[in-house]
Amino acid sequence: MEARVLKPILGVYCAAFILFLYGPMIVLAILSFQGAGGGPQFPIIEWSTYWYRHLLGMTEPGRISRLPIGDSLLRSLTLAVMTTVVSTVLGVVTAQGFRTRFKGSGVVFYLVILGMIVPGVLVGLGMALLSNLLGINRSWWGTAFVLHVVYTFPFAFLVMLAIFNRFDRSVEEASLSLGVSPAQTFRRVTFPMIFPGVLSAMLFSFTLSYDEFSRTLFTSGRELTLPLTIYGTFSVEIYPNIFAFGVLTTLFSFTLLLIYALLMLRAVRSARSFKGQEEAA
Amino acid sequence: MYDLQLIGVGKTYPDGTVAVSDFDLAVEPGEFVAFLGPSGCGKSTTLRMIAGFEDISNGDILIKGKNVSATPPEKRPTSMIFQNYALFPHMTVRQNIGFGLDVKGLSTAEKNAKVDRIMDMFGLNEFADRKADRLSGGQRQRIALARGLVVEPDILLLDEPLGALDANLRRVIQNELKLLQRELGITFVFVTHAQSEALGLSDRIVVMNRGRVEQIGTPHEVYAAPATEFVARFIGSNAIIEGANLRIEGDMASVETAFGRLRGRCASSITPGASVLVAIPAEAMRIQRTGTAGGSENRLHGKVSMKHAVGSVGHFKVDLDGKQSVDVQTSTDNEALMQLAIGDAVIVDCPSDRVTLVGQG
Repeated sequence: MEARVLKPILGVYCAAFILFLYGPMIVLAILSFQGAGGGPQFPIIEWSTYWYRHLLGMTEPGRISRLPIGDSLLRSLTLAVMTTVVSTVLGVVTAQGFRTRFKGSGVVFYLVILGMIVPGVLVGLGMALLSNLLGINRSWWGTAFVLHVVYTFPFAFLVMLAIFNRFDRSVEEASLSLGVSPAQTFRRVTFPMIFPGVLSAMLFSFTLSYDEFSRTLFTSGRELTLPLTIYGTFSVEIYPNIFAFGVLTTLFSFTLLLIYALLMLRAVRSARSFKGQEEAA
Repeated sequence: MYDLQLIGVGKTYPDGTVAVSDFDLAVEPGEFVAFLGPSGCGKSTTLRMIAGFEDISNGDILIKGKNVSATPPEKRPTSMIFQNYALFPHMTVRQNIGFGLDVKGLSTAEKNAKVDRIMDMFGLNEFADRKADRLSGGQRQRIALARGLVVEPDILLLDEPLGALDANLRRVIQNELKLLQRELGITFVFVTHAQSEALGLSDRIVVMNRGRVEQIGTPHEVYAAPATEFVARFIGSNAIIEGANLRIEGDMASVETAFGRLRGRCASSITPGASVLVAIPAEAMRIQRTGTAGGSENRLHGKVSMKHAVGSVGHFKVDLDGKQSVDVQTSTDNEALMQLAIGDAVIVDCPSDRVTLVGQG
């Protein structure tokens, strides 16, 4: 009885959820194939890949200038990679530290988590004021980078905390009791076992940093990151080339996810497969 | 020289909880020692202190005469076997077993020879290249043992190693353990809450309760001559009867109980006149119909209140005075006894050399 009522309701709910989740992306993808004379809205006057070619500089120079994203794309990717490395390392180390209760661990926990809770605009503004006060030049690789780490580190930390929560300490103890040093135990026992978690922490850090806007707005200085550049183009006029870029960047994200999935699959399979290779050590 | 010495070892947690206190023990080389007690009695904590996983708050631990109290676990000549096996899931059986040898600076040939020998010994050759988590419990426990033994520890520490196995497999591995220990001559310290394991495997048993050592002795000693009330209640199935006004009679003693005077062996620490408990093992008691001649001096009168037979063993519950009852075991071969019905008046008796008087509390 309940299931008969509940099922269609849940079905509708689910459909609505998916619609709102992917609707904007689908609309954006469709509009990206607008013809050369068309605007950033329906109807599509002509199906073409014009805006993709425009984006890549493969069209005749015209009234509409190319999206100035080359440099900022590179900057955003570099920043995301830097953030990923630092946040993941910090996340793993901190979560490792939290495995044993220590005095003030509760306070430290909330101090770390604060980084993802406080409003980004405020932190950005605060950082801008602080750097002015201290006479530090604002830059995407300096002030903005620090804020990206402060923002993404808690996510990496929480992921690793969850992983360590389910981690069986006796496996490490077994290694120690066999005479293997703590450092070797981490490298050869702990790390391979938490690797899927490390991958997730990296993915979180990367994607959060890559499209971070509010914290970067006040702190990146004159060299803008990708989200800032895109936002900047809105203030002039919107053309479908930005949609084309959106589609490409989404494809890029999917590629990242695919790589993540493949690595994850490999990690899981290597933990399960019947044939293992000899340790390379 | 002792293989292992614990001198006044204690463990107090920062919040003041005392996990273990005043633990004294000296283990001979090649001895098989079992720590036996209910969960939370401190037996695992003590084992982990020997392994180095827990700091000790008081006292010292010596291994082969060397004080290791401040030595980290990886530098102690001990190897620990865990209840959940704690195998490395990302390694093959072979890698698991060879893991401890990797850091010992052996040549590949030496290492392989050692791993091959121990895999042979445990019958693990056919699984060598499988991942450990694809194997059965018994196989995994063998891998854990092989992994722990291949590094040639002075002492093997086993933390409830049979706990996760089903009953049949437990018996098999239990026998293997016993043979293995005899063959290798390595000192084993074994933690268990199952008295059958401790009684069947070990040379000596340390009975623990609430962080304290209650009794240290051979399996026969702790079984036949419990030193404390806890041991009398925990090991075997003893009937416990309160007694008062102890009287020493040669190497025996007797006390007044609600069911008459009972005689038994008595620890020398108990003073005359003291109140004690009388522990009578269920299998030492005999039951007979009231009015039948014979029987030994410790006689209890009562009525049969329950009776059932399991295979060759008949179990009777005999009600003594409406408040206390004793359990008696007999052979089902004794047909006269098996005809006893509920409510029949009986006499339960026990030779005084099987009776132990222990201090209260």
